[in-house]
Amino acid sequence: MQLVCALADVPVGEGVRITTVTPPIAVFRTEDDDVYAIDDTCTHQDASLADGWLEDCWVECPLHASRFDLRTGRVDQPPAKRPVRVHAATVRDDGIWVELSDEVPHLPPGVTFEAR
Amino acid sequence: MTTTSDATTSPAGESSLIPTLPGAAYVDPAVFARECERIFEDMWFCAAHASDLPKPGAFRTVQVGRESILLTRSRRGELRAFYNICRHRGARICLEESGEKARSFQCPYHAWTYDFDGRLVAAPNLTKMPDIDRVDYGLRSVHVRSWMGYVWVSLADDPPSFEGTVEAEVVARLGTVDKIASYDIASLSVGRRITYEVKANWKLIVENFMECYHCATIHPELTEVLPEFADGLAAQYFVDHGAEFGEDVRGFTIDGSEGVGVLPGLDEDRDRKYYAITIKPQVFVNLVPDHVIWHRMYPISEQLTIVECDWLYTADVVASGRDVTASVELFHRVNQQDFEACERTQPAMSSRLYRDGGVLVPSEHHIGDFHAWVTARTAPDAG
Repeated sequence: MQLVCALADVPVGEGVRITTVTPPIAVFRTEDDDVYAIDDTCTHQDASLADGWLEDCWVECPLHASRFDLRTGRVDQPPAKRPVRVHAATVRDDGIWVELSDEVPHLPPGVTFEAR
Repeated sequence: MTTTSDATTSPAGESSLIPTLPGAAYVDPAVFARECERIFEDMWFCAAHASDLPKPGAFRTVQVGRESILLTRSRRGELRAFYNICRHRGARICLEESGEKARSFQCPYHAWTYDFDGRLVAAPNLTKMPDIDRVDYGLRSVHVRSWMGYVWVSLADDPPSFEGTVEAEVVARLGTVDKIASYDIASLSVGRRITYEVKANWKLIVENFMECYHCATIHPELTEVLPEFADGLAAQYFVDHGAEFGEDVRGFTIDGSEGVGVLPGLDEDRDRKYYAITIKPQVFVNLVPDHVIWHRMYPISEQLTIVECDWLYTADVVASGRDVTASVELFHRVNQQDFEACERTQPAMSSRLYRDGGVLVPSEHHIGDFHAWVTARTAPDAG
């Protein structure tokens, strides 16, 4: 696991884009104060899910309203069709730690990220 | 009012008649554009009632001068007003006149997405353009404030003093701004709203509202309730003059029947009187004992004006579902009669006969002040 940010960096009910990993991930803190991590980029078009609308365990893409389940990565409706990857996330010593998934990410057409 | 002869007779040695504006002032698109620039886009403009925006994301779009303005409330419930224009390529954001957004305002062209504070929250590939400042490229805001339960906007970079303009109109009419306070207008609710599409220049509507020389001819019902209107002098002619109800009249209603009960806290000497205020450039207010009638104009072009009229009653009266038809019907009929007269006048504005305009009789001479005001504001060297 790796430390990606401090718990305090993520307000309750919001998400933060983490660019120190490739591709970037989004860390969310739900109203119930649970922490989740998924790929940040919507699988339909290049949009940051951390800028989306968090409700319960779902985040709605800010551009075209496909919603992703933070627990499974599943998408509920088009235009996005493929899931995002889910990364195991846990809070330890006031930090958010993530185990990156080793699956192949479903990036939208034309979107690439250079490893840092 | 001591005597009416002073106001209906020409001053000794002076002509009874003074000129109106020339016809072109009512039909020339260039004149209208100048009025938009110097008046509607440069002053405070009454844009909506606060209850039109009941919650965050509820919105209205209104035309202010030549601009479409988007009104809404932030997540914290604060009023917000923006140009209804995407900062990317200029598409209009909201096409509807009103509605409610759950999340954001999104441009239907490229999906630039703004929160209710106007901040750019998302756009395709936005993360690849980290130099785009989300506030700098947020919706461009305009000045907004609340007064008397209404939402007022100003498109001016540096808006005029609200006190020195809007409130000063109330002072000019009633003597002090306190006089309107006893109606507690901000606490009233919209009991009825009627929107009129008037095919006439906005100035014809202002002029009509300012004078009562026409009252006995086109407003039989109103003159029945306010008999002194038959003398042709508007309630607006004198400072703090209320037009007295007729002896047999019990309320400001279509048939003089009882109204819905005097507004709580109203000064006693106002309980059988009608007051009218013109708040330049686009608001008319009528104060009667049991309700308030609030008109605002949205000038659309030199020949088209939308007038939205609210009948305001106490929240209790509105909540009770009490029938207010008799009071709504009186001024609704007055509005129809007035706007018909304005529409009958508009076509002549482009007649060669009216090139130099018409004339104002003594009881209309105060309209000359309005003309002078418009002329001064739109003068080539003004502003």
